[in-house]
Amino acid sequence: MPEMVDTTIKTPDEFSEHLMFDPLPRGKMNDMVMESMQITSWKFWVVAGFLGMVVLVCLFGAWGYLINEGLGVAGVNRPAYWGIFLVNTVFWIGISHAGTFVSALLRVFKAEFRRPFTRAAELMTTFGLVQAGLSIFMHMGRVWLFYFLAPYPNERGLWPNFHSPLSWDFLAITTYLLASTMYLFLPLIPDHAMARDRSKGWRKTLYRTLALGFRGTEGEWTHLRTAMNIFAFAILPVMFSVHTIVSWDFAAAMRPGWSSTIFGPYFVIGALQSGIAAVGMVLVVVRATMKNMKYFIRLEVFDSLGKLMLIISMSWAYFFFNDYLVQWYNGDKFTDILLHFHESGPLGWMWFMMLIFNIVIPWALLWNKKIRRNPAILFTIGLLINVAMYFERYVIVPISLTINRMPFTWRLYKPGIEVWLSLGTFAFFVLLYMLASRIVPLVPVWEVQEGQMAHSLRKVGKATVPAVSELE
Amino acid sequence: MENMKTLLALFEDIDPAADAVEKLQEMGITNDQINVVSGIPVTEPMLGRPHQWTNVPRLALGGAFAGLLIGVALAVGTPLLYPIHVGGQPLIPVPPSIVVIFEMTMLGMLVSTFLGVFLDSQFPSYKPKEYIPEISDGKIAVLFSCSQEKEKSIVSALRILGAKSVEPGEAQQL
Repeated sequence: MPEMVDTTIKTPDEFSEHLMFDPLPRGKMNDMVMESMQITSWKFWVVAGFLGMVVLVCLFGAWGYLINEGLGVAGVNRPAYWGIFLVNTVFWIGISHAGTFVSALLRVFKAEFRRPFTRAAELMTTFGLVQAGLSIFMHMGRVWLFYFLAPYPNERGLWPNFHSPLSWDFLAITTYLLASTMYLFLPLIPDHAMARDRSKGWRKTLYRTLALGFRGTEGEWTHLRTAMNIFAFAILPVMFSVHTIVSWDFAAAMRPGWSSTIFGPYFVIGALQSGIAAVGMVLVVVRATMKNMKYFIRLEVFDSLGKLMLIISMSWAYFFFNDYLVQWYNGDKFTDILLHFHESGPLGWMWFMMLIFNIVIPWALLWNKKIRRNPAILFTIGLLINVAMYFERYVIVPISLTINRMPFTWRLYKPGIEVWLSLGTFAFFVLLYMLASRIVPLVPVWEVQEGQMAHSLRKVGKATVPAVSELE
Repeated sequence: MENMKTLLALFEDIDPAADAVEKLQEMGITNDQINVVSGIPVTEPMLGRPHQWTNVPRLALGGAFAGLLIGVALAVGTPLLYPIHVGGQPLIPVPPSIVVIFEMTMLGMLVSTFLGVFLDSQFPSYKPKEYIPEISDGKIAVLFSCSQEKEKSIVSALRILGAKSVEPGEAQQL
């Protein structure tokens, strides 16, 4: 009923805290985003330099040492052939899920609060997958033979076994990396054009190249919008498939603790648990450290993300209990020993911390609106959830590998060089994100403006209520 | 067509731009001679413009089909080229093949969707084009061709409708 919409209504104070009801001229928003990329303090370079050193020493230095000495310098050995390398792989793929989930699912459902931070979340996907890929390559040992994974014609006529979950992994992660990078790039084209129009020097050349000649004609927008809709729908099943396939690396094996039909959705929800929490953490840091970001990333964003974290924490608890109960009930001797080992073994504290940080803390705190809207507390909860999810993967991989059906092989995994390599991947992720924040417009300004155009206030009786128009 | 001229009218908002498009149509400018350039996606119905054709969905479908064939080649073809029985499974087991075929189908669809934008929009294209940077500041440009005889009356009509400027559309290096 368009006649009920009254755009002349003055925005009351309770709405002006929402970005969609607090518009600025597009030129001003463009300038703010450009300024956030171009103004860099010395502190930024100190942190970047430190992280660069950590990456150099802990990632590439330690990896070089690993390649030179062989996998013997790592802790992986019978029965835990998969150690922190695989913990890191699963963890980083989990982190990568949030970007696509937040961006694609919220786009499909037209959730308006997504608009200012989809880009920041999508960047996490790409950089998270880079760390996951590196972790797999480290675990290979002889990394220069990585191409054995790929299907290529060779003189012996050998092919990878495509009926193995490890080959599915290769295909799924490659598909997801390519898809998420393309999904990141498409909505960036108009922002690159915006940056091109207000840059000089090397930035002008860079953005001119990346904008591909985009002007914003009707045809260009139509092709772009159609493609983004296809991506938003199609990338979701790909996202679900990736972590499901990662879970099959475990679930397809007849091992105590792993052989579970619910591992697929349990892994997916675990990925979302860590990923959404990581999005919250990244947004808190971006808002606190980058110029003008307080305008774009408002407390309403943390409020919505906090609710999402609470719902996903509940879902994770449901899947965890379902997996636990069925394994507990089946009466298998070695599964029973393993479950007791999880709780009361030498690393039992990790299992309990996993439950406390993943369930108790989010449930105790995130129902409270004031807590959800406090960036520092939300950051802390996000950090604890990610620590818990790292513990969860540690419990699933090396701790569960300790107990098998051959008791004479039982031995607790003690990591070696993997610890340094893990530090390296964490530093590399943060470093890549920091450097990208100097080049990539972190806020999709055109999407924010589109959202602000779609929002209006209308009178229903004596109340003023927000209304959102369907512009597409 | 030698006496045709390309003009670029700049508007602050969608409403006057839509009115300008309507006026141009009334003054005999065909839809083929008009293009609207904007910093946000403005849909055709908002501007009273005909539906824009896009090949992206068809290319996506074609890519999905190509991906499916590649998936079948990997899951079914490679075991036939070098038969190895693994884990007591048949040479070509159906459930594992579905995983490979699914991934390759989705990869084919998404890559072709991405490339479809490049093909349909003729990206990358770095040759000079009619454009002004104010467009990415939220202004809306109506780009049209008209005969030189009509130029004066059209410019004056568009100014009455709220055009911020109506200038010859000069191709410039983006």
